[in-house]
Amino acid sequence: MNGSDIRITAEPVDNDRCKFVVSQAVYEGGVRRFASPAEAQGSPLAEAIFAIPGAGISEVVVSGSLVTVVKHSPTPWTAMGRPIGAAIRTALTAGTPAIATRAPAPPAGEAVDDDVLYERVAQLFASRVNPMVARHGGAVELIDVQDGVVMLRMGGGCQGCGMADVTLRQGIEAMLHEHVPGVEGIVDVTDHTAGSTPYFAAAKK
Amino acid sequence: MPRLLLLLPSTTYRATAFVEAARRLDVALTVASERPSAFERAQPEGLLTLDFSAPERAAAQVLQFAHEHPIAGVVGVDDDTVVAAAAIAARLGLRGNPAAAALAARDKHLQRELLAQHHVRAPAFALHRIDDDPAALARGVRYPCVLKPLRLSASRGVIRADNPDQFVSAFRRVAAILAEPDVAACGEPARRLLVEEFIEGPEVALEGLLVGGRLEVLALFDKPDPLDGPFFEETIYVTPSRLPRAAQTAIAATAQTASAALGLVEGAVHAELRWNAQGAWLIELAARPIGGRCSAVLRFGKGEGGRGQGTSLEEIVVRHALGMELPGLEREDAAAGVMMIPVPRRGVLREVRGIERARAVPLVVEVAITAHPGQQLVPLPEGARYPGFIFARGETPAEVEAALREAQRRLEFVVD
Repeated sequence: MNGSDIRITAEPVDNDRCKFVVSQAVYEGGVRRFASPAEAQGSPLAEAIFAIPGAGISEVVVSGSLVTVVKHSPTPWTAMGRPIGAAIRTALTAGTPAIATRAPAPPAGEAVDDDVLYERVAQLFASRVNPMVARHGGAVELIDVQDGVVMLRMGGGCQGCGMADVTLRQGIEAMLHEHVPGVEGIVDVTDHTAGSTPYFAAAKK
Repeated sequence: MPRLLLLLPSTTYRATAFVEAARRLDVALTVASERPSAFERAQPEGLLTLDFSAPERAAAQVLQFAHEHPIAGVVGVDDDTVVAAAAIAARLGLRGNPAAAALAARDKHLQRELLAQHHVRAPAFALHRIDDDPAALARGVRYPCVLKPLRLSASRGVIRADNPDQFVSAFRRVAAILAEPDVAACGEPARRLLVEEFIEGPEVALEGLLVGGRLEVLALFDKPDPLDGPFFEETIYVTPSRLPRAAQTAIAATAQTASAALGLVEGAVHAELRWNAQGAWLIELAARPIGGRCSAVLRFGKGEGGRGQGTSLEEIVVRHALGMELPGLEREDAAAGVMMIPVPRRGVLREVRGIERARAVPLVVEVAITAHPGQQLVPLPEGARYPGFIFARGETPAEVEAALREAQRRLEFVVD
């Protein structure tokens, strides 16, 4: 495949966070989160994004056809979009896996922590979160927990909903902090542009 | 940690930008909406349901809420919620506009009356009821004129008429829009409409922040597509303005005078003005920040080389509401622009093609399609939703505008 055949759409969430929706799968093994260049070793796509000069990349999350990039620098996404797009294209056309299939096994204690967290978060999602969002035709899928960070995907009425971020931050994240000590953060890996039944659709200017 | 009460209508485009601004500032956040969140019972401190159409009742409800969860600031993001925000601010003693001023900014007729009383240059106007006889009215109108609902936004229901036949047709069309259930629900304002003088000349949008009654101009956008009717579809906004410096100064002065005329003293202001040989004309003034996703083009606080340091408009609005120190309010040096993508035609959206080709246009930063597959697209004057937005940045306004147009040309909306 030629790099020019790969379509990538950037969806900045804010000045720190941007989602890149890729026209083909980037990683089909669930979710991989890289919080440093060291963690990215062995995954060429993440390595290349961390290596962009002056970008101040702090996190790369890959899931399905979605690459979420987090930075803590004033560099605008204007300047970042093209090198990130180029890094994604180069990695996907190199002929080797763009993302290593699984992170190196962490020390036993940390693995247990994430596993324990996963179980608790899954239980909370099943018992509280999903029954609530179901009232709006929505669903929230727990993808993974890595280093205490919960990765989730929204579906149904939540996907593409104008109030999805309110649900995410004021609802789900708040409940996680309240009921599951140890959760460090939350990453939404939803492709909201693909939502076809949003509960609230933006209408006013 | 101060707590911000953010009033977000459930149909807003603004949720992400404001929620993220509050997170960046590390403030406690309560989001109030007119429809209940699925999580409201589980997170009563962070989520609230308020009837924005009854501002005083909403204020009383918030006062009760604040006994348990003290609130340090309140922000409304659209024409309705800023009225509720003003009532809440008054009840809780927070920074905000007087309720009467917020009402005047929302009601186009009241606004014009106050502008006229304070000698602000604005179109001549008359108020009519939708059950008036349009044929009789048409005989007494000066042409060209513009028919305009009192409360709608995004140019919905705004139609130009150049003669009596067009007037009658436009009147009936506006009346039909005002009879639609979502509009009729606002009561008496949906039973009246304005007929006003059409003002020639280029239109601009001014984004500002009122601090103690003084207007800080944050950005002045040119609207390079002529807005001559019959419908007034806003498409491209580009800043900085290419109007002469003297014109820009006069426009800012008119916006300042108009704000004072309405009694606005604090918070975001979004004003539409026209410029011609007679000077600056105030067309509309809203006590809220720019709508849609357009604020994403604005970045404040000059860093090295004039590049924006990344302070968003929402962050400035939240800081101001909470009485926090304001960062530099000077916009970055780069030219920036946004296109509110016009609805190509009425129908059901199936697919949008060419997004990546549009993104590949040099200077284009983002192409955001906000309409979803299966969504009914309705063009003006009946519609009020944009199918998406294109953003660009560059050295000059002209090249930004050209990039936006080229990107739009590359998009193909498949509509059944």
